[in-house]
Amino acid sequence: MSESVKRSIWVYHLNTGGCNACDIEVLDALTPWFDAERFGVKLVPSPRQADVILLTGPVTIEALPKVVNAIEAMPRPRYIIALGSCGVGGGIWHDTYSTIGGVRELLKVLEARGVKVDGVYYVPGCPVRPESILYAVALFKGLVEKKVKSEVAYSE
Amino acid sequence: MVRVLKPVELIVVASEKGRVTVKYPYQEPLVTSDFRGAIRIDASKCIGCGACVKACPPNALELLESPDRLVIRYFVGRCIFCWRCVDVCPVKAVVGTREFELATDRVEDLFNYTVHRRAECRECGSGFATRRMVEYVTEKSAVSEYYANECPECRKAKVLKAAARRRGGV
Repeated sequence: MSESVKRSIWVYHLNTGGCNACDIEVLDALTPWFDAERFGVKLVPSPRQADVILLTGPVTIEALPKVVNAIEAMPRPRYIIALGSCGVGGGIWHDTYSTIGGVRELLKVLEARGVKVDGVYYVPGCPVRPESILYAVALFKGLVEKKVKSEVAYSE
Repeated sequence: MVRVLKPVELIVVASEKGRVTVKYPYQEPLVTSDFRGAIRIDASKCIGCGACVKACPPNALELLESPDRLVIRYFVGRCIFCWRCVDVCPVKAVVGTREFELATDRVEDLFNYTVHRRAECRECGSGFATRRMVEYVTEKSAVSEYYANECPECRKAKVLKAAARRRGGV
């Protein structure tokens, strides 16, 4: 965890061509019921001011140059929280002609462009629950333990 | 006519209403009984038939095939939680859970693997299907026991040979 994480995290919400379900859940997480501002989360209008990008959607080819520009514009250290099945692995659109398929492919593009990303958090869900977003933020701030881990099971 | 409340009056109203904000990471989440979360494959029941892989709309379940192993890979990060795999599983090995706290900082955490051993053909020794699937089929139909231990290629060759013999040579 870097020094910037200890302060309030300012978040830039970046939709890369998703269906808007995850975006509505982001709004839900900011309502008084769930209240993400308890953790210091604040939506900012420009990536220049942001610590974290909330990335939703499977990154369409049309949106790709703008997404790269937005991430390039962020100051270091820059973190990405990929929301939803589309953001993490491309979701239902992972092999369509007009998307590149989520943040994992986006990271390859960024690496080719020489843009460094300090950390990526993956939040599956279709759409993500507001609690999932809160959990990811709490994980980002080191308040909760990670629950998932890769399992290899042998049938015999 | 709507009257705008003064700050002092607002404090009174707010204190009467109380606090609505949930303390989520430090309390139980509001998960209802019909919520669909991540699936789990019970390896002791799974036969490796691949029905879930066929049914999966976003290819979150994938078959990785090799001559001696058959692996079902479940990538949670692509799953849309439709639970079609739970519906189609013939042995009820795929069960749905209510898990949604799947956030992680390493993408490797989101992959789950179920490893099966291939059945060996008694004619040529090459691997085909899975051992569990052959067991399942022989359990279901008694007549197939003789053929079940042969790979499809050998079975095909045998049928052609028998047909040729019946017609007096081809």
